[in-house]
Amino acid sequence: MSASIGEPISGGQAPRGWDELSIRFDDGMDLGKVRALLQQAKERGGTPGETVSAFNLVGIYFSPAAYERAQAALESAGRLHPCRLVVLIGEQRGEGDSVTARVSVVRSGGAVSLERIVLSAKGAGVRHLQSALLDLLLPELPVVVVWGGRTEGDLLQRAVEAADRVIIDSGTRAPEALAEVAAMVARGAPVGDLAWARIFPWMSLAADVLDVPNLREHRGNLRSARVICAGGIGAEGVLLGGWFGSRVRKARVQLVVGPEPETDSSMPGAGDGASATGWASTAPLGKGQIAAFEFTAPPVTFSLRREKALLIAEVRGDDDGEVLHRVRLPPETPGRLLGLELKLLAGQDELYAAALQAAVKLLPKSGP
Amino acid sequence: MPYAPDHDQVPNPLRYGLRADSAPEPCALVVFGASGDLAHRKLIPALYNLAVSAHLPAAFGVVGVSKSEYTHQQYQEDMREAVGKFSRTKPIDEDAWRDFAAGLRYVPGAFDEDATFQRLSATLEEMDRARATRGNRLFYFATPPSTYPVLLQQLHKHGLIRPPGDPRFTRVVIEKPFGRDLASARALNRMVLEVMDERQVFRIDHYLGKETVQNLLVFRFGNTIFEPIWNRNYVDHVQITAAEELGIEGRGRYYEEAGILRDMIQNHVLQLVCLTAMEAPVAFDADSVRDEKVKVLRALAPIEGPEAVAQRVVLGQYTAGQIAGNDVPGYQEEKDVAKGSRTPTFAAIQLNVDNWRWDGVPFYLRSGKRLPKRMTEIAIQFRKLPHALFGEGASAPNTLVIRVQPEEGIALRFSAKVPGERYRPRTVSMDFRYGSAFAAASPEAYERLLMDALRGDQTLFTRKDEVEAAWQLVDGILKVIEAPDAPAPYPYEAGTWGPKEAHELLARDGRAWRRP
Repeated sequence: MSASIGEPISGGQAPRGWDELSIRFDDGMDLGKVRALLQQAKERGGTPGETVSAFNLVGIYFSPAAYERAQAALESAGRLHPCRLVVLIGEQRGEGDSVTARVSVVRSGGAVSLERIVLSAKGAGVRHLQSALLDLLLPELPVVVVWGGRTEGDLLQRAVEAADRVIIDSGTRAPEALAEVAAMVARGAPVGDLAWARIFPWMSLAADVLDVPNLREHRGNLRSARVICAGGIGAEGVLLGGWFGSRVRKARVQLVVGPEPETDSSMPGAGDGASATGWASTAPLGKGQIAAFEFTAPPVTFSLRREKALLIAEVRGDDDGEVLHRVRLPPETPGRLLGLELKLLAGQDELYAAALQAAVKLLPKSGP
Repeated sequence: MPYAPDHDQVPNPLRYGLRADSAPEPCALVVFGASGDLAHRKLIPALYNLAVSAHLPAAFGVVGVSKSEYTHQQYQEDMREAVGKFSRTKPIDEDAWRDFAAGLRYVPGAFDEDATFQRLSATLEEMDRARATRGNRLFYFATPPSTYPVLLQQLHKHGLIRPPGDPRFTRVVIEKPFGRDLASARALNRMVLEVMDERQVFRIDHYLGKETVQNLLVFRFGNTIFEPIWNRNYVDHVQITAAEELGIEGRGRYYEEAGILRDMIQNHVLQLVCLTAMEAPVAFDADSVRDEKVKVLRALAPIEGPEAVAQRVVLGQYTAGQIAGNDVPGYQEEKDVAKGSRTPTFAAIQLNVDNWRWDGVPFYLRSGKRLPKRMTEIAIQFRKLPHALFGEGASAPNTLVIRVQPEEGIALRFSAKVPGERYRPRTVSMDFRYGSAFAAASPEAYERLLMDALRGDQTLFTRKDEVEAAWQLVDGILKVIEAPDAPAPYPYEAGTWGPKEAHELLARDGRAWRRP
């Protein structure tokens, strides 16, 4: 295999600044000029080469700071999945009526594999963003929106209607917010969730232990499950419980507040929910994160627990205390989770939809 | 509580719909030939990359076995150097390496000595305790084929091969060449199956680990638009080229025994024929896929007897020439090659697949050393237009080219109108390049295949009947060309696309080789 093929594109890490071109509009927008700027960016450094895009990736943020936090993840995901990235930053409370467009490109193996257009609008300029977006999308290709705001409201609804997929991160919000997401998903919204991608290792390991030859006999007798979160219940824990409940309908699922977290970092959801990259790293264990997951097939208990960057599975009642499996948690580098979610470019993840509906039933009832 | 016996058959309710592949069970991997080239260049770097990407189970270890005298620590140091040199990911991730190296052991010794296997058994037991590998074993034969019988006997004799029903699995990966003709392949299969079950045998052909080769299945059976035209009604012929610009790179002794037919045609090239010509499997599982490949091999019209071989096979041997501006020696000037050697370094073969789909569609195969460049491709040449609306010869037939290496991808060539000219067509290309469309680095073929072996998935490994069916075809040719009175292979200058007779093979059918 030649060295130039399939290597990660170098841009996205380095090109900020020197290869970025920008233009400011104070009264409406001229998208022809934005396109010309993009062409200029492609022609920098020689021939433009071909442009490869598999989809449109749209990021919507409500402050430059929120985009800054998400930027690495978006670019990292763009390195894995060639696309046109259009970022809208709307500061309604900002002064003035201006829109600034910044464009840049990233190359891979001679081809342009990431076109980046960042539109920042202030004040009344925000009203131009939506129509500008529709004009800047590459035709025929799926549109995936990364939503960095609260999971409610008219703007999100419009994004859901226009996009083939909307990716949120319910881990940055209180678990009760899952109810709103569940309602959207029940109406058919093609929602992807980084909190869901975060629990893949738990789900895989739970499935793996039931594939161990001498433990397969317990598959038909699963009765209950407990998800133990550190210091408080987080959205990931609720989703994991929901997933188990949706796969084993007769099972009783409990959410339990377990050991204190190893770090003072706030529980996902305690923040403003403004970032799509607010996930905690693999270790140490943060507040609200899943510390352990147990499920039973009497008399056997399968116990999965997290120790630093390892997930460890044990079984009791069958092979007492024996360590069955230890797997490394993959590094949660920025963009890896988004990259996982971008493997599905359109439509609903049925497994997530079912897990979410079951998860909502696990949430404590609000009100008197 | 007592369980109904059929509880084992209940599908895993937690496996459904998961995006991640199942993780391999804990395992100790034993590499025979641990100080050899394959272990240094491919196996250990591949395992290290799997460790970096968190694909290996934490309960995992590697035991290297070979004659060279290393301590555990020396072996770890040697392998670290190999990883630094040959890993596709650089620089070395020190944390991942430390973890990986902690499970790396070495057992020195000759394969025919019982003491070697006693030490190996003890090391594996120690690894089960220290690394929780649970008695699961994957043995990798990265050794010359002549060692396979003794390795199988020793593993059996020392109780290291457990039956397939045992909760602790035993699997064996066997490198190509699997035999040197049909008789020896059958004998080896018999020997292997005397001590284990076919479900435990993983005959590896690293071509099947390449993304583009696997993509051929997705391309054919994951799209609706190609399958209806993938047959004799639309396809004129198929060309498969597997070219190398390298010579034999100091492996004269091996190559004199093997030649191009054993080294490339019997395995890599025939696998490409199978994937191109096979019917859709009923399911994407090991046996369904391999069943369809075997059907293709069985449908290949035999090439037997001097006349058939003369008509449908052209063999060549390179002489001194130039490649990429450099002088290169001829085959007979290479180290360990006999003067007057008749070993072919090039083959062009016309195959016929005698079945409903491909009847009358020739498959032309060519493979050789010291050709102008390294490339492997499959070209589907479609039929000519039924009526030359834009002038005779104005529109070239469509071609679909699947590039296996390098620049993996797919190109479709079709006619488009030249701007400004009055209906003058010109052939243009619609190009898909793997490296651009999927910017993530593809895993090495050995990474994929090692993971599959650890998981117990045999889909990309060749089955007993598949190996024998491939030898059946090649054996017919070998019998003729290795007869004492057989003509010598045609000479061709290094840096050319083979002897002129290879071009005549197609020219007499009114066709020509593509110039890749």
